[in-house]
Amino acid sequence: MHVLIINGSPRVKAFSNTDKILEQFTKGMAENGTTFEQYEVSDKKQWDAMRKAFAENNNILIALPLYVECIPGLLIEFLETVEKKADDTRLAFILQGGFAEGIQLRCGEEYLKILTERLGCTYAGTLVKGDNFSIRFFEGEKRDKVTAPYAAMGRRYAQDGGFDSEECRKFTGPEVFPAPVRLLVGFMFKTLAKKGFRSMATGWGCTKPLDYKPYM
Amino acid sequence: MILIVNTTSDHSVTEELKEQTDSKGIKAEIIETDSMHISHCIGCNYCWLKTPGECSIKDDYEIILKKIIHADQMWIISDTALGFLDHKGKNIYDRILPIATMYLKFKGDQMRHVPRYESRTDVGIIYKGEPDAEYLKRWNERAALNFESRSLGVFKTDEIKEAVSCMC
Ligand SMILES: Cc1cc2nc3c(=O)[nH]c(=O)nc-3n(C[C@H](O)[C@H](O)[C@H](O)COP(=O)(O)O)c2cc1C
Repeated sequence: MHVLIINGSPRVKAFSNTDKILEQFTKGMAENGTTFEQYEVSDKKQWDAMRKAFAENNNILIALPLYVECIPGLLIEFLETVEKKADDTRLAFILQGGFAEGIQLRCGEEYLKILTERLGCTYAGTLVKGDNFSIRFFEGEKRDKVTAPYAAMGRRYAQDGGFDSEECRKFTGPEVFPAPVRLLVGFMFKTLAKKGFRSMATGWGCTKPLDYKPYM
Repeated sequence: MILIVNTTSDHSVTEELKEQTDSKGIKAEIIETDSMHISHCIGCNYCWLKTPGECSIKDDYEIILKKIIHADQMWIISDTALGFLDHKGKNIYDRILPIATMYLKFKGDQMRHVPRYESRTDVGIIYKGEPDAEYLKRWNERAALNFESRSLGVFKTDEIKEAVSCMC
């Protein structure tokens, strides 16, 4: 199988969490001879080549970050320019987001089914997972811990040509956190996480409080 | 104040909206974006972690952002594509991130970002074309939740009267 992979993130490749996820995913996917070509929506210079590849391939995987509960504006802009397909193209998705619970991604996932139909393709499922905000801030082992599980999903995809399996459904993790966990995590948000965000900001040269109101 | 952002190049919709809101004495501000430069969000995270509340892209979106903070309602008029808002309409939502902070909390059973400002802006959509209207309605409810406001609903351009009845 040959797969066209499109990274649908508007963020440049070097900082894209989706890209780091794909790095691991494709490692698993390519183990048994599946080949692929990958493009980035964030780089408009690639759009002509991407459009052509979209027309020519019939195994397509779009990996994308959730942007305000749906697909990013820039990815829509690209997809507005592709030709609707009439062959048997199987379209699958990796949908990932910042918030940790599965429920946060369901509205976006629902749209991907509508999108597939409007593009004239056959829906091959969506791999859904949140809690990926920090990938770009991590390196080495810490990053691998978040991204490495995607390799197994890559293997699965190569085998099934999609994400319609119990293993892939389980990959999402909990739909919502149980109340005691929310209490604990909520406490961490007010303490540890706040400090963590503050130090990330300082690292970026930020001198204002993170709740600064520039337009008041 | 009611903020109306027209991302289409068809001004007949805003003309009709102006007529109807004027006759009802509703204070509405209309922004036509076809003569503006509004980029997509590039996901740099600067508005949360480097220049809190300020977008790193210095284009005309800042005009809208400054108004949102003082608006009780924002209505987006948008063309549609692939069953959803077209990219111009969606970009208005994606670029709204500076009104939230990096900080997190639980709202009900789900995580949310802590809003930057006290005020809340409810959001509604007036669309052209043939989207999956049921989905668009569900999505706008979800999007509004993200900013701790309410969805005002999703209306076709031939339902402007119905939309205006939600403006108060
Ligand atoms: C404009 C914008 C909107 C976002 N909206 C959501 C959202 O609704 N839900 C969510 O869980 N994460 C949301 N995120 C977080 C991203 O999905 C997350 O950080 C992702 O890992 C980014 O991947 P990337 O680096 O490949 O772009 C949003 C990020 C941005 C910049």
